[in-house]
Amino acid sequence: MNTQSFERQLQQVAPPAPDPAARQRARHAALEEFRRLHGQEARKTAPTGWPWSRQWLGGFAGACVAVVGVSIYWLTPQDEREVRLPAPDTSRAPVPATDVQRAGVKVPDDVVEPATALEVTTEAQSPTTAPPVEAPIPSGLQQHMDVQAGGSSTAPSSDNGAGDQEPVELASVEVTGTRIQHPKVTSANPIPAITGEEMRDLGFVNIADALTMLVPQNISTYEPNMTGDNQAGSGGGSMEGLDRGIYFIGNTIANLRGMDPAQGTRTLTLVDGRRTVSTSNQADVVDMNIIPSNMLQRMGVVPGGDQFEHFDTNPPRRAAEEPVSTFSVDVDTTSYSFARRALNNGTLPAPGAVRAEEMINYFDYAWPAADSRRQPFRPTVTVSDSPWGEGRKLIHVGIKGYELPARGKLDVNLVLLLDVSGSMNAPDRLPLATRSMKLLLDSLKATDTVAIVVYAGAAGQVLAPTQVRDRETIEQALDSLRAGGSTAGAQGIRLAYQLAERNFREGGVNRILLATDGDFNVGVSDPDELKRMVERERTKGIFLSVLGFGRGNYRDDIAQALAQNGNGAAAYIDTLSEARKVLVHEASSSLFTIAGDVKIQVEFNPATVAEYRLVGYETRALNREDFNNDKVDAGDVGSGSTVTAIYEIAPVGSNAALMDERRYAGEQAPATVRGSRASEYGFVKIRYKLPGEEQSQLIEQPIRVNAGVPRALRQDVAFSTAVAGFAQLLRGGQYTGALTYDDVLRLARSSTGEDPFGHRAEFVELVRSARDVQRASGRMAD
Amino acid sequence: MDNQHLTDLIRRAQGGNTASFAELVDLHYDTIHRFAWKWCGHRADAQDIAQQSCIKLAQNLAQYRFQAAFATWLYRLVVNCAQDWQRAQRRHVHAALPVDEAAGDSWRVEDSVHLSQLLAQLDELGQGMRETALLVHAEGMSHAEAGEILGVSESTISWRIHTMRKQMNRREQLANGSV
Repeated sequence: MNTQSFERQLQQVAPPAPDPAARQRARHAALEEFRRLHGQEARKTAPTGWPWSRQWLGGFAGACVAVVGVSIYWLTPQDEREVRLPAPDTSRAPVPATDVQRAGVKVPDDVVEPATALEVTTEAQSPTTAPPVEAPIPSGLQQHMDVQAGGSSTAPSSDNGAGDQEPVELASVEVTGTRIQHPKVTSANPIPAITGEEMRDLGFVNIADALTMLVPQNISTYEPNMTGDNQAGSGGGSMEGLDRGIYFIGNTIANLRGMDPAQGTRTLTLVDGRRTVSTSNQADVVDMNIIPSNMLQRMGVVPGGDQFEHFDTNPPRRAAEEPVSTFSVDVDTTSYSFARRALNNGTLPAPGAVRAEEMINYFDYAWPAADSRRQPFRPTVTVSDSPWGEGRKLIHVGIKGYELPARGKLDVNLVLLLDVSGSMNAPDRLPLATRSMKLLLDSLKATDTVAIVVYAGAAGQVLAPTQVRDRETIEQALDSLRAGGSTAGAQGIRLAYQLAERNFREGGVNRILLATDGDFNVGVSDPDELKRMVERERTKGIFLSVLGFGRGNYRDDIAQALAQNGNGAAAYIDTLSEARKVLVHEASSSLFTIAGDVKIQVEFNPATVAEYRLVGYETRALNREDFNNDKVDAGDVGSGSTVTAIYEIAPVGSNAALMDERRYAGEQAPATVRGSRASEYGFVKIRYKLPGEEQSQLIEQPIRVNAGVPRALRQDVAFSTAVAGFAQLLRGGQYTGALTYDDVLRLARSSTGEDPFGHRAEFVELVRSARDVQRASGRMAD
Repeated sequence: MDNQHLTDLIRRAQGGNTASFAELVDLHYDTIHRFAWKWCGHRADAQDIAQQSCIKLAQNLAQYRFQAAFATWLYRLVVNCAQDWQRAQRRHVHAALPVDEAAGDSWRVEDSVHLSQLLAQLDELGQGMRETALLVHAEGMSHAEAGEILGVSESTISWRIHTMRKQMNRREQLANGSV
């Protein structure tokens, strides 16, 4: 145990001298880049390993070359370097053998055999994003491929101005790949990989088994249903399955999404970084058994990316400079479900996928409810100490929406728009979606109607608008759905809207529920056109909500955009209990809007607040002038749902601000604060529109310095604070000081309260998982 | 190399002179590699970061406007590369910390592992901690210099140093006091 202070230890660090080979490589790579940028051709030269300049050699004509070559050979220092011949690479043009010869490299006879161990890498492709073979190799894949001839496909050269193509006899050749990263290609998922050695240590003799261990959804062998009755609507024709399935019998393929290979497995298998000839009549069918398992060097899986819109965490702002904070409410819960899913799988969610407000708003809080339909909100404002910022305070602004009485429930005209593309085949996708829809029926009245439209596989209407009293018909239609195929249905969303319009319920709820795992090929390929359509329909009164399923190709960015434009919520359904929460317990808030375009604006008082910081809502920020502009769209609040926003402030005089006072603040003296204003931290304004109205209403409330927290709300303030802390930690904890997962755990456990559905207990488990995952990733525990 | 020479060298390199750029890289590679090694405690990774930094140098040299000292600008570049590398690394769950076997005779094998652990502890204290500690303690920079490199105020650096000292002392006490 080192007894020196960490400062001393750092001061005494003495790194080893750099390895000359690495220095050469870095130099070469940098020069390549430099030349490329300045428009010069990259030079291909043989490595010489000399420390001396070769300028003086340039003068020799070709005839002297052989002599020079021999003499140089004898002068070359003999280093110990492994010989590795370039292996084929996919990202750049392969180094032709002639190039190497032209460079005059003569490999001595005692060269080590080139690597015969084959490398199998499989890359799962989503149907919507197929990387061209020419594209640069994603950094994840790069790290699992010893690309031995990468972009700078030549060995480090010593730079010289004159002709440098003399053939040289060398003791050794070292060719290394490029590790140039490609920052644009990032994945939210970790890269599972296994080396040949590990595989054998674990007792796998079969590559396919190892792959299934890495990716449990993999289905390597495919047994076609010979009678063909796995096809919806087919009359049990016996040859159908046979025709399509026979090519796979005997092939052990990588099928990472467990799909019907006849429809395309969406799995690309690369061997040593290259596509391999298919082992069957169908393209992209590669029998893994062509590679003997004892020759496997490494196998890795690059999943497609779940794509989240990137945003920067809200920084603290000085109240004297930017006193007004404006944002739209967000009642989505996607981020929480997604994070839960990642944690249950033993990984931390990508920081980009964590939206603090969605995690906070996942839970129900006991803010006092409004009691009239005309004024459907009562804001609650509390002030408490910040657990992670000494001297700082947390301001909670909570809104509980009016709860529609059960008897007065509006009529519902629902159209389910379901993605039935091949990728929906996994058990956590289409089957979960259909089960979820059945649960939803429990929340509807007998006279409500449901219609079903499918897209991206088969396309078209599956069920005409049917009353819920005829439940069996609806359930039968849901059961008949099968995932398969990849065509973007020309009918899809348009048909769904048509059905909704035809069946429009005046004064009721008209909504399209889009259920997908990320495939938004709803029949309108231009994303702007799609957004405009959703907006147009919204003005007609038909709203759109998005339910996300599955993982690996989930386009959260599109889901969010559509739901926001469609005045609906986006939820991510990872389990049946989440389905129950969203579609049963909270069905009324999912379906019935009590206020639309809800915006919040807070003005802080510079006399009492030095700094403030809004936790979350980065993707919902509005301009100051948008608040009063009724044309600017914002989020909707459903019946009975709660929306909470948390600000962290550094009060004036607390010395807890992160930013210093400006030295040159100019002549602006803070406005003289009169009387009661001195006791206010700020002022909250809420604008909302009642359903069907175009003009917004305004609610205002001051934030009193001594507001405190009413006893009845202490638990909920504490719990929501814990969730906020957790979300911030997951995003890197930039502003939470010394807060740890253990602190969050303690706070959450002490404020679980009654927790009738166990959601808070589940949260506590998630915090534990996060803490454990972080520990396991090699850091010392707190 | 005195200041004027360096300035000339940089200008020539910015103008497209390959030999000047090469000389620039040669001059600074050791510094870059040393700092990269301090960042991760592991030879191969340090080489990666150093190589990436050299490439970045080629890409960004045009943006150096002689306002700050070249060393300041260069350190900022290397810190960014190191952070990018670290972000990329985080996605992999490491089963065991890498051990730098070829660390050289002045270092025992366990030393670089200890450094990685130490730095990981600093990471847990918040963003920006690791680089602040490395610049101030390991590179011997003043708070003002470190602030310039990292793009924060000097007082932020001071606050971070203070926080780290407090937290690490606390941990030390806990570690010593408990089992």
